[in-house]
Amino acid sequence: MPSQPNGRTAAASPAPADPLPAPPGPATGTPLVRLSGVRKVFNQLEAIRNISLDIGDGAFVSLLGPSGCGKSTLLMMIAGLVRPTSGEIRVNGEVVTGPRADVGVVFQSPVLLPWRTVLDNVLFPVELLKLSKAKYRERAMELLAMAKLADFAGALPRELSGGMRQRAAICRALIHNPSTLLMDEPFSALDAITRDDMSVELLRIWQANRKTVVFVTHSIREAAFLSDRVLVMGRRPATLVEDITIDLPRPRHIAMTEEESFNGYVRHLRRSIEASHADAP
Amino acid sequence: MRTLLDRFVWPMAVPVGLLVLWEVATRALGIRSIILPPPSEIIEVMVTRYDLILTHLWPSLYLTLTGFALSVVGGVLVAVLITTSPLLRKSLYPTIVVSQVVPKISIAPLFVVWFGTGMTSSLMLAVLVAFFPMTINAAMGFQSVDEDILRMARTYMGSRWQIFWKIQMPHALPFIFSGMKISITLAIIGVIVSEFVASQEGIGYLIKFAGGLLDTPLMMAAITALSLTGLVLYWLIAEAERLTVYWQSTSEFGSGGQV
Repeated sequence: MPSQPNGRTAAASPAPADPLPAPPGPATGTPLVRLSGVRKVFNQLEAIRNISLDIGDGAFVSLLGPSGCGKSTLLMMIAGLVRPTSGEIRVNGEVVTGPRADVGVVFQSPVLLPWRTVLDNVLFPVELLKLSKAKYRERAMELLAMAKLADFAGALPRELSGGMRQRAAICRALIHNPSTLLMDEPFSALDAITRDDMSVELLRIWQANRKTVVFVTHSIREAAFLSDRVLVMGRRPATLVEDITIDLPRPRHIAMTEEESFNGYVRHLRRSIEASHADAP
Repeated sequence: MRTLLDRFVWPMAVPVGLLVLWEVATRALGIRSIILPPPSEIIEVMVTRYDLILTHLWPSLYLTLTGFALSVVGGVLVAVLITTSPLLRKSLYPTIVVSQVVPKISIAPLFVVWFGTGMTSSLMLAVLVAFFPMTINAAMGFQSVDEDILRMARTYMGSRWQIFWKIQMPHALPFIFSGMKISITLAIIGVIVSEFVASQEGIGYLIKFAGGLLDTPLMMAAITALSLTGLVLYWLIAEAERLTVYWQSTSEFGSGGQV
């Protein structure tokens, strides 16, 4: 596991040869997710207009915008579940034409299968991808231990709290060791206190695994607290309004949200969103 | 102790109380057996004439179970077809739903014309009434999977086959059991009605026969035997459900609907 989380400055570090199995080395500037001229039209309504961006390997990037601005659609396009009307999306250098084995997705709701134990839910992608379950069992237990769910491996989802279920869903998204983790407002159904805890937990898990994370949220605080970089999206049709680098030290603690440097970013992001509203017709 | 009270004593209090009331009332008011025999007399007939009742119960039970089994297998298969083929869903499903409106019991005399007075008629009627609720419940189960769960499975490149067996099938199980609970009750009704219309054996025939002789105690003994049989069959399905659908709390799905 890489020890230096704040590796975005080490731009010259060589890219790993095989991107899938090994956890990526210290984050580099190598784009892992690349969108060029992505546009989406639903029923002749332009939902997303010409978005181009590069997301570096191992970076934690948030897509921030108001509800219904098309940020989830953008994420689902990266996941290969929705096709862009025009433009191109690449993950690990390959054009996305459908779901991929090197991507993990966490949805808004945990979508655990109620008849499976937590462990078997975490192993579900392994089953679908026809990988050896025995080989991944140990990794599943490690992930569950990291998510503080080791004692609940044999429990059914209904025995878990909302936060625990979403943590199990994160373990499931990581089980096949994807290079990219896509998260679609994963904490929006949780209460505020659990949400803060989950943010800290997520950063801890991310710190240990160093995936490239694309995190969709409508919470300014959440985006600022979690991310290396926040992409502010405007509404209808969605465009990138601003691209802000959050230069706060890692590991991050919830106490940092009271510091002036953090609040500066929050204010900046809020102004940026308000400005994008003002622009809209 | 408390659970014993809640599970058995309180639920049984009302029926037992009613039976006692019935017994006392018929004796005190001197109601004749031909109108309403007291429970004790019904039980007496059930004991003394058990061989006659059993002789007629077996064919009915056999037909009920066969008709039920055919309905479950056929219903689930048709539901799978409807679920997997959009064309079949669009063409077949409306017909199935609308056909629910036909009071299928009324077709019993027609079946006698077509299939004679034997077991075929009874079996066909049992299947006819038990098949559709089974199909509709199973189809609902297969199709009501949360869109997000399907999306999650597609993310990991789940095939249609995997999605069916690993997601839709287990998801449909509680619905299938609800359908089975409705179907078993309807299968009994189908068999009995068919035996009323034309048959030389079966508990339906015995009820009609005893009615013709104005032997009310025998008639009520046969009805009681039939009811107990239905109760046991329903209970067996409920137990099977409890064991199979272990992830549902029983209180949510304990009661299957009746049509």
